[in-house]
Amino acid sequence: MNIQEYIASGVLESYWAGELNDEEMQAVDAMAARYPQVADELDELRNVLITLARSQSSSGDNTVIDLVTNTIRDEEKEAFLRAIEEPDTQIKKIRVIPRWSAAAAVLLFLSIAFNVYFFLRMRSAKDDVRKIAAENSKMAYEIESTQQDLGYAELRVAHFLNNDNIHVRLDGSELSPKSFANVFWDKNTNAVFISVDNLPEPPKGHQYQLWAIKPGQAPIDAGIFDHNQLVQELKVIKGSVQAFAITLEEEGGTPIATVDQTYARGFLKKS
Amino acid sequence: MSVQLKYLTSETPLEERIALLLADRDRTAVGLIYQNYSSILLNVILRVVKYEDVAKDVLQDALLKIWRNSTNFDPSKGSLFTWLVRVCRNAAIDKTRSKDFKQRQKSEQSVDLVFISDTFGNESEVNDGSVRELIFQLPEKQRTLISMSFFEGYSHPEISERLSIPLGTVKTRIRMALQHLRSIVE
Repeated sequence: MNIQEYIASGVLESYWAGELNDEEMQAVDAMAARYPQVADELDELRNVLITLARSQSSSGDNTVIDLVTNTIRDEEKEAFLRAIEEPDTQIKKIRVIPRWSAAAAVLLFLSIAFNVYFFLRMRSAKDDVRKIAAENSKMAYEIESTQQDLGYAELRVAHFLNNDNIHVRLDGSELSPKSFANVFWDKNTNAVFISVDNLPEPPKGHQYQLWAIKPGQAPIDAGIFDHNQLVQELKVIKGSVQAFAITLEEEGGTPIATVDQTYARGFLKKS
Repeated sequence: MSVQLKYLTSETPLEERIALLLADRDRTAVGLIYQNYSSILLNVILRVVKYEDVAKDVLQDALLKIWRNSTNFDPSKGSLFTWLVRVCRNAAIDKTRSKDFKQRQKSEQSVDLVFISDTFGNESEVNDGSVRELIFQLPEKQRTLISMSFFEGYSHPEISERLSIPLGTVKTRIRMALQHLRSIVE
């Protein structure tokens, strides 16, 4: 094809005038790509038309491009906001975890606090229970011992009030002047009871022993007794007893009284 | 900063520069298209829609489509201008199918082809430079031909009918007028 003829045909002017259809335009583009002369001619024609257009366009009418530019800006802004919103939701997702863990930490802390609190309370409650149990057993013991004491006292009073009893008060000897005891001797049964009222604690391995004294006879064993028991029934003694005496003997007692260890003695009232 | 921008220099041909900026999603590309091609593209649109105000609306839509669909431009399938014309024509054709355009066509059927207010030769316009006087250095017939063909949206058959010139000579006369103008500009 003769390029000069092609250019002279006016097809390039038609190209810029919009006279050609899409296919024809592409054909011109192909020619321009192939022949630099065609390309140059196209460029020159365009430049003339641009110059001409600028020379005639009413200045200041930028409505179209302003609207387009604003729309593009708005779209870019929206796209930008969307773009930063997306990571934002990710950040939010990430934030959920610390929020949960914070809540979990609070719960854990509360749990620990309650555990410690209840543990301490339980421990103090155990202590209290132990104390109360101790107090209880102490009280129980005290009650028991009080009841025992009461029982002894009642028994003692009963012996005092018993008309069948011969009451002998034994006073402390030179060995232990402050000591005293009471002996009740039942006239009917001849049973001997002793009320241990005030005798010193016997030395280890020793026991007190009661003796019945008849005129012209050696002291008759009336029985060993427990220092801790206030009132106890001892042996049965018959006959004309003149006096009773308490001696300190070795544990288990002795058949022959150790007279020089007499702690208390008392004579029967002459009827 | 895009890799492509490195290759952009003042020497880069206009179409290539616009294509690179478009590919780079640089909105100055749209500004450049408007600066250099708005009149020519408006002419293409006017050929379809005939009303100047409608044509401006269509150009606006078309520029947005060009921006939004810039990745559709394939240099292997033709020049940027060919693509721009394609987008503008399609936008114009879409417009003619719209309900309000059809209503307007009905109501203005009696009115003949639209008068374009700021075409060449409107001597009440302020003369703002030597370029402004370019068109007046052409004989009136050539002036009218260029104006109708490149800026007012008249097709060659329409020009032939309007100016009572045989269709075969319209193309040659337009070429002659443009050659004349070129000689003045250069």
